[in-house]
Amino acid sequence: MPNKRRLITRRDFIRGTIGATLGTSMFGVRWAVGSEKSAPSSLVTVVRDKDVMNAGLDVDFKVLQKILDQSIVQLTGRKNSKEAWSKIITPDDTVGLVSTGHLNPTHDELVYAVKIALMDIGVPKNRIKMAQGSSRKVKRCTALISLPALKAHWLTGIGTVLKNYIMYSGSPSAYHDQNSAKLGEIWHLPHVKGKTKLILVDALYPLCDKGPQADPRYKWPYSGLIAGTDPVAVETVCLRIIEEKRRALRGEPWPLSPPPICVEAADKVYGLGTSRMEKIKIAHFGWKQDLLL
Amino acid sequence: MKVRKLNLPKTIGVWTRPDAPRVIDSGNIFEYMNGAGELYLAYRFKHLEVYEYKADDETSILVELYYMETSDDAFGLLSLDWGGERVSFSDSPAKTSNQSLTSSTRALYGAGLLRVWSDNLYCRVMAFRETPASKQAVLTLGKTIAANRKSPPEPELLKILPIDIGMDWKLRNDRIGYFRSHLVLNSLYYLSHQNILNLDLSTEAVAAPYDSMDGKDRTRVQFLFVRYADSRQAQQALDHFHKTYLPEQKKNFGTSSMTESQSYFKIEDGWLGYKVYGPCVALVFECPDENSARMIIEQIQFNLLRTGG
Repeated sequence: MPNKRRLITRRDFIRGTIGATLGTSMFGVRWAVGSEKSAPSSLVTVVRDKDVMNAGLDVDFKVLQKILDQSIVQLTGRKNSKEAWSKIITPDDTVGLVSTGHLNPTHDELVYAVKIALMDIGVPKNRIKMAQGSSRKVKRCTALISLPALKAHWLTGIGTVLKNYIMYSGSPSAYHDQNSAKLGEIWHLPHVKGKTKLILVDALYPLCDKGPQADPRYKWPYSGLIAGTDPVAVETVCLRIIEEKRRALRGEPWPLSPPPICVEAADKVYGLGTSRMEKIKIAHFGWKQDLLL
Repeated sequence: MKVRKLNLPKTIGVWTRPDAPRVIDSGNIFEYMNGAGELYLAYRFKHLEVYEYKADDETSILVELYYMETSDDAFGLLSLDWGGERVSFSDSPAKTSNQSLTSSTRALYGAGLLRVWSDNLYCRVMAFRETPASKQAVLTLGKTIAANRKSPPEPELLKILPIDIGMDWKLRNDRIGYFRSHLVLNSLYYLSHQNILNLDLSTEAVAAPYDSMDGKDRTRVQFLFVRYADSRQAQQALDHFHKTYLPEQKKNFGTSSMTESQSYFKIEDGWLGYKVYGPCVALVFECPDENSARMIIEQIQFNLLRTGG
């Protein structure tokens, strides 16, 4: 039975055959590996400043703007922030900002800082939309900036980049259990595909345990932003930070459970980018303590 | 059965609650907490009452009262994480029952969040910003919630867990988890995204690791014990598990009388052993050798006989 769906088990992870199993499991999907004609850059920037929040976790907006500028400049290789933003967004775009509202919400200050940067390059205020939530919202956008906060998730292992578009599927519950491996397919939906110009992860105060509700014992001031244009590479870097933080907390390996199968599937099944750490160029700037990379 | 209504204080410190709670049931739990609702539905959930204590110059304190069908279900929710500072609401020093594997723990606090198991109630009291004042308010609310409520013992099923197995294996009682759903199992110990052990609300299960120390080197095995509604369901579940998890072990599979030797298998991460005992199934994973797997399974059998299970 060539189309019989294989179940993923713990043994697939131990054997290192998860990619093959996922491929078999999703055999027949029309956007299987290689459907993206041009591979995105796998450069990921990690910019941190320990002063971006005070002891009370209030954000210093000026410091936040500074690390945002640095992130976008380093990512694009342009001389300054204005040129950098202009490389990825044009004044004619209708830009959707896709922040996260649940579990570990994106800081409002980051959303505001991005809005200011976009207006600074000439995008009218009325064409900067908050686009999280429904297909209708994303359809009217010509460009998307994904703004998830860094967090683990109890059903999908990690709930940061790939999961940030789950509502655009129109059926979020269809991505539970083994189907969480299919989160990458949402990025290929016609109203989403090709629109994401930047993934900017709010790693100011991440959550490293899966929840399902936020437990403050597992949040910590990483005080950084993680940026890239390859969603899988950014997610892979996020995953490494979470795994290393968990290991540091317990003093022994504390793997995410269930494992985040969506990341490898996004690479090997959906061709959205690379999940191989050795193929990702991480450019780090700023505060080095407890970088976890 | 008459249910005693909790009478939370209207004000505590600088915080004040609304007159009535927001009431959540299984029909609208996802509106309240998105996918997190799956956790509570994975136990026998009745309803949730939510109060938000607000103050002018302070962040809020959120009180969530999860009313469960049984004390075991509420215990299960607490058992998902034994971390944090143990809290006793009794005026006298906390008693540790000899029968308790979890040190009679009823409440745990850390970084602004208090989690409480009180009879059939599981509650979370969270200060969004921890200060000395908010911690005091959170603990006072916890004490009020737990006051005059029964304190049933931990689930009977935990008695199956030996504290020691042989000379080597020690129970990690800070990792004991009690549950009824494969979603929760996977958050404790991942087997498969699918429900390969046929878990549901009619089943109850306990998982815990056992460690063996040799100098600084630690070996860990994972033990899992499930009680089904009857023997037939237990056998069906084990068959399903075997077909899914051990698909290469097809020879002789399906016979109703699996021999002892067929219950132990060398797989990628060590030896796996299982055995069915009437309505119960015991499984052990990641054993360093067949003897360890066999010893652990046999110790469980001994415990079952001892406890009359």
